[in-house]
Amino acid sequence: MSGPPNEGHNEGHHPADADQRTIDLKESDMGEEVRQCACCCEEASEEELLERLDAVIDEYQDKPGALIPVLQMAQGIYGYLPEATLKHIATRLRKPYSEVAGVVGFYSFFSTVPRGDNVIRVCLGTACYVRGGKAVLDAIKSRLGIDVGETTEDRVFSLEVARCFGACGLAPAMSIGDEVYKRVRPSRVPEILAKYRETAPVEEGALNVAG
Amino acid sequence: MSPATTASDATSTEGTPTMTIPRIHLMMCFGTGCLSSGAEKVRDALLDELGAHDMADEVSIIETGCNGFCAGGPIVVVYPGGVFYNHVKPEDAAEIVAEHIVKGRPVERLMYRHPTSKAIIPLYQDIPFFARQDLRVLRNKGRIAAESIEEYIARDGYQAFAKALTEMTPQGIIDEIKTAGLRGRGGAGFPTGLKWEFCHNAEGDKKYILCNADEGDPGAFMDRSVLEADPHAVIEGMLIGARAIGADEGYVYCRAEYPLALERLESAMADCRAYGLLGEGIFDTDFSFDLHIARGSGAFVCGEETALMTSIEGHRGEPRPRPPFPAHKGLWGKPSVLNNVETLATVAQIIRNGSEWFRSVGTERSPGTKIFALSGAVNNVGLVEVPLGIPLGDIIYEIGGGIPNGKQYKAAQLGGPSGGAIPKEHLNVAVDFESLQEVGAIMGSGGLIVMDEDTCMVDMARFFLDFIQDESCGKCPPCRVGTKRMLEIVTRICEGQGEEGDIERLVSLGHTIQQTALCGLGQTAPNPVLSMIRHFREEWEQHIHEKHCEAGVCANMFIARCSNACPASVNVPGFVSLVGEQRFDEALRVHRDRNPLASICARVCFHPCESKCQRAGLDSPVAIRHVKRFMVEQESAPVLPEIQADPANAARKVAVVGGGPAGLSCAFFLARLGYKPTVFEAEEKAGGMLVQAIPAYRLPRPELEREIKMIEDMGATIACGKALGRDFTLQSLKDEGYEAVFLGVGAPKGSTIGIPGEDGPGVYDGLSFLKEYNLTGSAPMGKKVAVIGGGNAAIDAARTALRLGAEEVRILYRRTRAQMPAWAEEVDAADLEGIQILTLVAPQEIVRDGQGAVTGVRCREMVLGDYDKSGRRRPVSGHDPDFVVEADTVIAAIGQWLDAEPLMDGVKVGLGRKGYFAADRTSGRTSEPWVFAGGDAVTGPASVVEAIGAGEKAAVSIDEYLTGANHAFWRRSVDIGTHFDPDADPVEYDRAAVEELPLEQRVCTFDEVECGWEAEVALAEARRCLRCDYGKYCS
Amino acid sequence: MSPADGPQKIKSLADLQAIKTRTQAETALREDGYHVRLTVHMGTCGIASGSRAVLAAALEELNESGRTDVRVTTSGCIGACEHEPEMTVEVLDEEPVLYGDLDAETTRQVFQEHVLGGKLVPKLVVSLGEGVRP
Repeated sequence: MSGPPNEGHNEGHHPADADQRTIDLKESDMGEEVRQCACCCEEASEEELLERLDAVIDEYQDKPGALIPVLQMAQGIYGYLPEATLKHIATRLRKPYSEVAGVVGFYSFFSTVPRGDNVIRVCLGTACYVRGGKAVLDAIKSRLGIDVGETTEDRVFSLEVARCFGACGLAPAMSIGDEVYKRVRPSRVPEILAKYRETAPVEEGALNVAG
Repeated sequence: MSPATTASDATSTEGTPTMTIPRIHLMMCFGTGCLSSGAEKVRDALLDELGAHDMADEVSIIETGCNGFCAGGPIVVVYPGGVFYNHVKPEDAAEIVAEHIVKGRPVERLMYRHPTSKAIIPLYQDIPFFARQDLRVLRNKGRIAAESIEEYIARDGYQAFAKALTEMTPQGIIDEIKTAGLRGRGGAGFPTGLKWEFCHNAEGDKKYILCNADEGDPGAFMDRSVLEADPHAVIEGMLIGARAIGADEGYVYCRAEYPLALERLESAMADCRAYGLLGEGIFDTDFSFDLHIARGSGAFVCGEETALMTSIEGHRGEPRPRPPFPAHKGLWGKPSVLNNVETLATVAQIIRNGSEWFRSVGTERSPGTKIFALSGAVNNVGLVEVPLGIPLGDIIYEIGGGIPNGKQYKAAQLGGPSGGAIPKEHLNVAVDFESLQEVGAIMGSGGLIVMDEDTCMVDMARFFLDFIQDESCGKCPPCRVGTKRMLEIVTRICEGQGEEGDIERLVSLGHTIQQTALCGLGQTAPNPVLSMIRHFREEWEQHIHEKHCEAGVCANMFIARCSNACPASVNVPGFVSLVGEQRFDEALRVHRDRNPLASICARVCFHPCESKCQRAGLDSPVAIRHVKRFMVEQESAPVLPEIQADPANAARKVAVVGGGPAGLSCAFFLARLGYKPTVFEAEEKAGGMLVQAIPAYRLPRPELEREIKMIEDMGATIACGKALGRDFTLQSLKDEGYEAVFLGVGAPKGSTIGIPGEDGPGVYDGLSFLKEYNLTGSAPMGKKVAVIGGGNAAIDAARTALRLGAEEVRILYRRTRAQMPAWAEEVDAADLEGIQILTLVAPQEIVRDGQGAVTGVRCREMVLGDYDKSGRRRPVSGHDPDFVVEADTVIAAIGQWLDAEPLMDGVKVGLGRKGYFAADRTSGRTSEPWVFAGGDAVTGPASVVEAIGAGEKAAVSIDEYLTGANHAFWRRSVDIGTHFDPDADPVEYDRAAVEELPLEQRVCTFDEVECGWEAEVALAEARRCLRCDYGKYCS
Repeated sequence: MSPADGPQKIKSLADLQAIKTRTQAETALREDGYHVRLTVHMGTCGIASGSRAVLAAALEELNESGRTDVRVTTSGCIGACEHEPEMTVEVLDEEPVLYGDLDAETTRQVFQEHVLGGKLVPKLVVSLGEGVRP
């Protein structure tokens, strides 16, 4: 994204460029997520993953404050942070493993267990809470039969709670992967989940709108 | 150039076919509000007029959706120009077309007037929602392509930096910012110039400037918006700051949850490097600066400055004790300055426009503007920028458009988990750093979350504690352990396990944490709880003592929100589902288990249950009152409820004073416990306000008589014509052997207005007027009636006057229609029947002619001033001259009161607010152990169902007083055993409509206005219930 | 591309002025240039609400129309989150119009009726006038 700024805008009247612009924008909007995801979309071998990780470490290891960016990238590569990876990072950054593990444990962004294919994040920021985010969370919990922090047995969904997406105008909001759902009502939950899995198991009966 | 030229230009340049483009657009709001105020007729009239002027082709009328300005409907906006007409009537069409369209002269009298200043505001965008904002930091909001540095430069971007670098000294920059009085927008409001000066003066060869874009307050999105829409404004601010303090490197610490903001910031930084605005030797000077992004990893504490720096350094983001302050030892031990996004985005504008410009808005100590992320229960959710010092109420009501769905404002949370809640009593508070602190909140970073009556403050306190507990870094015990203890206590209270002393424990713990926690996060963590206790203590006490959550949030305390909202605690899903299964007798039994006056409430209850119905989230609430109406229509003679005969109780003498709903309810429940109470009624008919005030078109008298008879059949004696203080006294009751007395004497006196001309013929008080008609069947009536007041009695009096043959009936009310205490549906009905409702008018004098006959009411037009204790804007005198509303009869229904002193006669029952009896809400106990009270006599004028609830509570505690135990067998929760399939989808149809008597029949008779339902409609409606009670009965 | 190929470094206030003048000239609506500007508001709220589909639809419509005097651009959030996704339509010498609650289909409708046909699409209008001009 270091191309000449404003290119798309000024050339927008050429239809061909216009199309190009659409594609550019789609990618750029997804930002970091896309770039991280691109690594793991195809099944890569352990060696390839390690190679990518080492490349990242090579780039960062002499910079101050390298640990957190490296962990962020590593999670992008593996999808989570396996113990072996943490040990590898500790060795290469010449830091005690305890320090690495301590940092991982501190930040909620890092996960040391594999997550489902689709991470559901229900926003429980104040605005979403006031507008009924908790009822949405309860509906998802009962629909999937999992609690916050858990993954369904078939690894299709993981459930997390977010402390504000900063999309308070859309409250209550939830996201699945990159898709944000706005003004969700508990009654819409089954329909939303169904997009990701043909048959979501019904554990505790239908949703109790009472919440 | 006129738009017509544009049309021809368009054809010449593109070669598209010629088309007629209307010269003028008339935008007409066709939302529900405007439609109901007659927008269609106005449109037709405009079309006719345009046709008559042969302008139909030149002018197009466009029907728009609701513009949210329903109060002013019908609305016409004329484009070009955007002239905004409101309250347009069909007869105005001729003038609009002839004057404005043909001659180009806008019609002033139809323009929108500002409610307070009365200034005419012709342009749409000048309506407060738009005009009250002052876009300074957000000046580029939605205006430029965020990724285009050229567009930023085209709007004078980087000029301030150029000036700072080439024309100003570092001290000069600091002085300018200090003179401006800029205070940090991140929350604490520390003066930015001072912060810079400390760092500027600090020893060190290496310094950093940091931008805090962590925005951890759940409910704030200002920083995200600024970074997404205008990232260069932040970079420019950092460049200026770097120059001022002597930094050559900077970091933006941005939370990972903001991928788009990060993306746009990265892109902007790349552009800066390309243009040489970041890097070595900027502007060919020796000034160099480079910028990095540090991505947060999800830890709220990292918004705290020392924790943020620790995190950039690559460690656990734990705060460090201060001193040393970051200005001396910050990032990697070097002098550092940390500013928030909004602060930095303000800097460039101060340098470019000068400190005077900055200080031209805001207050002396809090100059400038502030961005708020307005969200929660408010109509216009969004990002707003306002001058500091603006009253909070103006942000919520004028810019935010008020509370949606007709709900009441309860509180606004400012400052997120470090801030506090501001209740309606403080809507006038000036939004500046100091004033907010005085009411227990803080400015915070700008999250402003509006909460309505459906929010429970105890639950919100738990929400914030849960958040803090989750986010506490764990380094210091006050925060780690202290907030955990607080959370445990609050959770217990929410679950109905609250204990005596819990509130005090929370307050004391909170103060300890405030004083001993290591960092800002911990020190401010107790703020939300403390402020919610300070402003909503009664709600906390209700949770602890009554195990009742009025907002209907703490689900452990009730079976369903509707029942929880019912002052008589009727099992609503129970009787509704029984009606759905056509088990009418059982349904009635369930209803009368808690509320004997089923038929009466089916007519006159204001149904708080429906306003809490969960079905409203799906489509509309279940029509509970009408289902009830159908239910009682299936009853031929009342089935007596379960009565536990008790000879000992039957032998005791218990007196109920007052035969209104409170007294009748008390007698009913006493009878169920085996007592044989005597009800003393002052008038010749029992029923209190039900028979004296409420007109028959709302409550047919046979319904009333039927349920009173039921209570008599259960063993109560009703003695009419016996008035306390006239025919007997409390002392005489005692002397006659009555062991307990319930005072349900209501608030039977009508208040006087207190204006000249009030005394004399032709002026009546509302209650006396209604009573006279309702008890005797006739009342004096003129041709032109003015009713003063906005409560239910005023509406009843007006509608009764109409039925008694008055030709013109007007209601004069000093506040707005939305502020009327009368039920909205009653007001609408009056409106429909042709009663004119004049709002914002205050009577000044009753005008009489030479013979002393009333000829009118001299009125003053009122405007809305500041917010009063009730959170409503206070009416204050406007500037227009007084005017006279013609009338030959004036009915003043402005209030009721109780003259309690004469009733007591030596027995000293304590009085409370406004001279009503002081009685405990939950038991009806007064200062005299054997005297109980409830209903209007305690609360002042309130609703029937509240009086019924109070009667039940008093009956239970009278029994407890006499026997020493609680025997209220009806209070147990029993599963009704109706069928419910939790897997089935809710039935899909919407709420059924209610038929009403045709208008022409209504206005000349006292026949009941509302009609009943056919069986199939009622049964289908009953099945709309979502059965929130499912699975919530104890077996 | 590398910074070396990038635009000329800004060295002075005059350089800034030059960019300002040039950009204003390039982006202004003029008789001999752009007649219409569509600004799709693409903050997080907007994108979450579906403004990508709005942008795509606007560009497709533009493509199909063959018009060369319509400029499609994007910007950040306009602040009225309640009506996302939003798009501002500016026609030379006319009041700018902010449309809201859009999707691909209604965006096409706005393009057809307002941009090509010169008529407002009232049911989608959030606000009009100078106050909403991007």
